[in-house]
Amino acid sequence: MPREVIERSAADNEYMHKDFHGALSAGLDYIAEHYGEDAVREYLHDFGTSYYAPLKKELVERGLVAVKEYYAKIYEAESAEFEISMSDDELRIDVAACPAVMHMRKKNYKVSPLFVETTRTVNEAICEGTPFVFELVEYDEKTGKSVQRFYRRSK
Amino acid sequence: MISCTEFIPAYSEMFKFLQRCGGVEAVDSFWEYLADNFLDNLRDLVKEHGIRGCWMYWSHTLNEEAADFTMTIDDEAGEFEIIMHHCPSKGRLLELNHVEPYHDYCRHCDVIYARVLEPLGYSCTADMSECKQARCRFTVRKKDA
Repeated sequence: MPREVIERSAADNEYMHKDFHGALSAGLDYIAEHYGEDAVREYLHDFGTSYYAPLKKELVERGLVAVKEYYAKIYEAESAEFEISMSDDELRIDVAACPAVMHMRKKNYKVSPLFVETTRTVNEAICEGTPFVFELVEYDEKTGKSVQRFYRRSK
Repeated sequence: MISCTEFIPAYSEMFKFLQRCGGVEAVDSFWEYLADNFLDNLRDLVKEHGIRGCWMYWSHTLNEEAADFTMTIDDEAGEFEIIMHHCPSKGRLLELNHVEPYHDYCRHCDVIYARVLEPLGYSCTADMSECKQARCRFTVRKKDA
């Protein structure tokens, strides 16, 4: 074959590399194997607290609509089938199948048994120190189908 | 679920967490683990197609990552090169105002890809001298070329 060259600019493509889900899952497994399962939760709690600090701030200032807007954008971008219902004091997200889990299943990547914590621990961390609480009502490990509930903390 | 569009900060924060747990050795050990357990797609493509496998692998990943790059392959010379004009990963990290990137974030590429490619008969050179501007150059050469 002759010498070949391709050039691309960022604008030529959409940013959507789903194999990253597999790399994150492998990372969780590595932490669990070397430092224990609680270390995975600690890492995700730290990440939920630091990276999502702006979302946490918006949750305090604007209420649950901030989380609704955030997850609607995320799940739409990942082409998930989901429904969101909201009142002043409660937000419920029903995800028919987690796009991350489904991508890993399709590509035969190992799905970490702790992958659920990317939903539970991260959302708990986002709610920590706010007037709201997160509850993972349902989660199916095979598909990542979930029911997620954010609601106002009782006084 | 952490969106794949937010994986890069999660990855960078993971490196920081591992360094707190076990020092730089823990971070390097994780990168080696990823190379051994997660990069079979690159490994298999290079085993089957030779250096052309690098072209096939990065054509897919860099387009999905919306990178700004020039990629060159010379099959006869056994050379493959990526010139990253703007790395989408480091670029994203540099855009964040509230989270500092892991201090040695860019080195993971060098460690991971060399660990996959060198046992297959290729040498890897990473020029990270401009990685703080999200620019780098990665070259793969067939060892007997």
